[in-house]
Amino acid sequence: MKKRQDALHIRIKRQMKRRIQGLVYFIKRLWAHPKGKIGLSVVTFLVLVALFAPIIAPFDPYDITERAEKGLSPRLQHPLGTTINTGQDIFSMLVYGTRVSLVVGITSGLSIAMVGAILGVTSGYIGGFVDNLIMRAVDVLLVIPSLPLVIVLTNVLGRDYWIIILIFVFLGWGGLARTIRSLVLVIKNSNYVRAAELAGASRWRIMIKHILPGTSHLLIMSTALSTAGIMVAEAGLSFLGLGDPTAISWGRMLAQAQEGGALLFGAWWWIIAPGIGIFLAVFSFMRIGIVLEEILNPKMQASAGIFKIFKSLDSSYVEKVFDSMDEEDRQKTGAVAPQPSAHSWEDV
Amino acid sequence: MEEPTLRMRKLKVIFPSGRGIIRAVEGVDIDIEKGECVALVGESGCGKSVTSRSIMKLIDSPPALTRVDELYFGGKDIKDFSESEMRKVRGKEMAMIFQDAMEALNPVITCGKQIAEIFLRHHDMDKKEARRETVKALELVGVPEPASRAKNYPHELSGGMRQRVLLAMAFACMPKLILADEPTTSLDVTIQAQVLNELRNLQKSHDVSLLLVTHDLSVVSNLADKVYVMYSGKIVEKASLRQLFEKPHHPYSIGLLNSVPKLSDEESGFEQIPGTVPHPMRKPEGCYFHPRCNHATEKCKKEMPPLSAINDESEVRCWHPRNMEREEAMT
Amino acid sequence: MNKDPIITLENITVDFPVKGGIPFLPKKRLQAVSDVSFSVFPGETFGIVGESGCGKSTLANTMLGIVKPSVGEVTFKGKKLFDLSRKEFKSIRRDMQMIFQDPYSSLNPRFTVFQVIAEPMIISKSATEEEMVERVGELLELVGLSKDDMHRHPSDFSGGQQQRIAIARSIILNPDFLVCDEPVAALDVSVHAQILNLLQDIQERMDITYVLISHNLAMVKNICDRIVVMYLGKVMESGRSEHIFDHAKHPYTHALLSAVLDTNVEEERELVVLKGDIPSPIDPPKGCRFYQRCPYAMQGCRTIPVPQVEIDSGHHVACHYVNGFPEGDKPEDYDKRIEQAHEEANV
Repeated sequence: MKKRQDALHIRIKRQMKRRIQGLVYFIKRLWAHPKGKIGLSVVTFLVLVALFAPIIAPFDPYDITERAEKGLSPRLQHPLGTTINTGQDIFSMLVYGTRVSLVVGITSGLSIAMVGAILGVTSGYIGGFVDNLIMRAVDVLLVIPSLPLVIVLTNVLGRDYWIIILIFVFLGWGGLARTIRSLVLVIKNSNYVRAAELAGASRWRIMIKHILPGTSHLLIMSTALSTAGIMVAEAGLSFLGLGDPTAISWGRMLAQAQEGGALLFGAWWWIIAPGIGIFLAVFSFMRIGIVLEEILNPKMQASAGIFKIFKSLDSSYVEKVFDSMDEEDRQKTGAVAPQPSAHSWEDV
Repeated sequence: MEEPTLRMRKLKVIFPSGRGIIRAVEGVDIDIEKGECVALVGESGCGKSVTSRSIMKLIDSPPALTRVDELYFGGKDIKDFSESEMRKVRGKEMAMIFQDAMEALNPVITCGKQIAEIFLRHHDMDKKEARRETVKALELVGVPEPASRAKNYPHELSGGMRQRVLLAMAFACMPKLILADEPTTSLDVTIQAQVLNELRNLQKSHDVSLLLVTHDLSVVSNLADKVYVMYSGKIVEKASLRQLFEKPHHPYSIGLLNSVPKLSDEESGFEQIPGTVPHPMRKPEGCYFHPRCNHATEKCKKEMPPLSAINDESEVRCWHPRNMEREEAMT
Repeated sequence: MNKDPIITLENITVDFPVKGGIPFLPKKRLQAVSDVSFSVFPGETFGIVGESGCGKSTLANTMLGIVKPSVGEVTFKGKKLFDLSRKEFKSIRRDMQMIFQDPYSSLNPRFTVFQVIAEPMIISKSATEEEMVERVGELLELVGLSKDDMHRHPSDFSGGQQQRIAIARSIILNPDFLVCDEPVAALDVSVHAQILNLLQDIQERMDITYVLISHNLAMVKNICDRIVVMYLGKVMESGRSEHIFDHAKHPYTHALLSAVLDTNVEEERELVVLKGDIPSPIDPPKGCRFYQRCPYAMQGCRTIPVPQVEIDSGHHVACHYVNGFPEGDKPEDYDKRIEQAHEEANV
């Protein structure tokens, strides 16, 4: 018994190791791509800012007790000045706003991927009545105008951030589920799934072991892209005053700036600062999404890589390779063909 | 003496990739006389398709790098022809038949229009004439009721009919040379026999040169005059059909011939060539075939043999050509 | 052969409703397999030969219990396959396995070779980790690969090697019955022989019954003990392999035999090139299915059902031409029929 447990232990350990190796490899690939490098560093920066917000921010952004002077322009103590109506420190608000944006964006992105994957795989693999039910639900979701629905829902359910995330997930899973379903239909008919069925695999096993991994590239990609999309949507909602009124987010900062008459007083930094925050966050996630698409889609990868390889080709080496194919020359000199894989540009 | 339809010397094609250079074709010479049917036989990855595409200059760079010492087509030197010059040659003087008709035909244009387009592009014809010629071309390749078939879309036709439409497109302008890349591989056996029959009749009656690219030696037996056997980017044997089938010299050709199942075989069990084709990036030193060859010696492991003539009808790339009747060679 | 058959098919008919058509009218049905009966005996190799659309793949799926026949009964080892409960069916299915045509698509590209081969064992939970590793290693060596290949991925191997991996997976649970669906059609010519020899080797060693599906008569000849020739869902001719090859009677078998191209240039064989296309299997004629393309057919062939007649021990032929036309039958124009066949196959 103990032996069997040990074996299980070793297997789990090995699996964990493989997962971690896979993740590291993945990040390395992302890093190797110039666009990916930008995206990855900006996201890391934002995450760090969000994590250490209390340390970075010089003031409490929620403090509206007017300790600071209202409507200050940028200066050493207040790098971005203070708000005109309440005298909050704008820089601190910006730092804290990162938290809301990232949490809402990433949580919704991940949840959408999860829900989309579960429903898409179920719908595609089980088929029949279940498929019909899920796909009709998707149809309904895709045609409902989302903004009015969000306004109604926030009014009914309240404006807590968790509720807003729920609403985003509820509205967002449809498109992904549909794409996943069509991919599942292809995988389902492949011979390896049939072979697994013949080996007596349960539906559950086939879904988890064979079909879900086949959709992983789509899931990873869509998480990055929908995170970006949701951060924009969240900013929009907050700007319209539909966000959580108790939290500080970039969208709400914009709304505040509007209310407080930032334009009127020429306090452009008040508007520009959250704008830059939103731009950076969305831009970096978009970048990562696009790069992921390139990395995970082998066709795009090949066409992108080949020009690079051609540029780095050493023409004299190519000549040598061509010459090595002539048998007359080779017999004369007795030379053997150079082994191409040993050359220096191998790791391009 | 009449000029050969095609004379190619030392075609070399490589594909640089992230992990090294793939040597697809390593110095292939091909001669095709007028009205001759030449077969290029080899397994997948031996470079036969790349060779045929290079003749039409259909290989893009990147991803490929191509070198050729001589390329004469119908007396013209087309070695340095530009893409726009080649476009005039393709279809009119040189045509290609692809393996997968469904991919080669445009699914949203009727078959008739696709054929007519060739006439319109290469001849001074109005649409009416082109349409008439199209029907004629379809009739020529044995399509029943050509006028109504011309109005069909590719997906409405059966596999055999689609392949015939490709034949009609290839023969439309009566080119000097037709390159057929696995023309019947995707078809059923009885349909395959029909299409091959059609191809042979057309080729003989119109005196067109044909380069038949295939992995299946049995297809060759009814069609070709001369056969090039290719292995790992090199021609290993070049012989007349009779010579190759009766007295193959290269161990690879012998193995290929023996691995085709024959109705006349008596004993059970199959003759097999051990091992697999070398990876195009990791080819062995010396003769490329030596790891799979039963007769390999030290010399084979070190030096690549040249393609040398054995007699009038055959040339072999082997240090120890087998010189015996086929029956003996099997054992 | 006094042994009990391992699998028996009785009057199997499989049809599928065709999508589309006019609403409210009865749907057209595609008859993939029609009234096919045969038994396969333990230890033999049974060949099913035919072109695309002849129903050979549907028949394979029926034998494995994947497709339920509309009419008829499949009996595997004395048990009626489609009357079994789910649990019984699962346990009996371990005795039957399949090898697919395209090895690449039959191996999950994300799995390692070990995971691929051991999958049936993992599912059946019949062994510990070490036992599995040992067994997979054994099998890899049996199929001509090395133990160390276990941790590589299928895409690292050539087509022939992938097919070897697929074979190893199919025999890991010691099945009695193996369906090979065109096992070499997707491979290079020079490895055909390797794979076929390997299959024969395994058969001898493990005493497995094979059903071999192919379109190439010459390939089937050397391996199979008995053969059925199918056309458009019907059995045209069946019998021991020497019956089919030396005394073929049916015109379709003749056509298939002559369509097998040979590398023998010495003897000029008489080539029977069939005209016409394979007609569609939707609403097929009542009489002979081959009637439109048959050079000998008479008017009666279209309407009068063709019985299977035993002309030699175990050698059955379904053909009016061979077994005698009904009285007063009139010849019919060949070209007209061919035209009809084309008409049906296209559009």
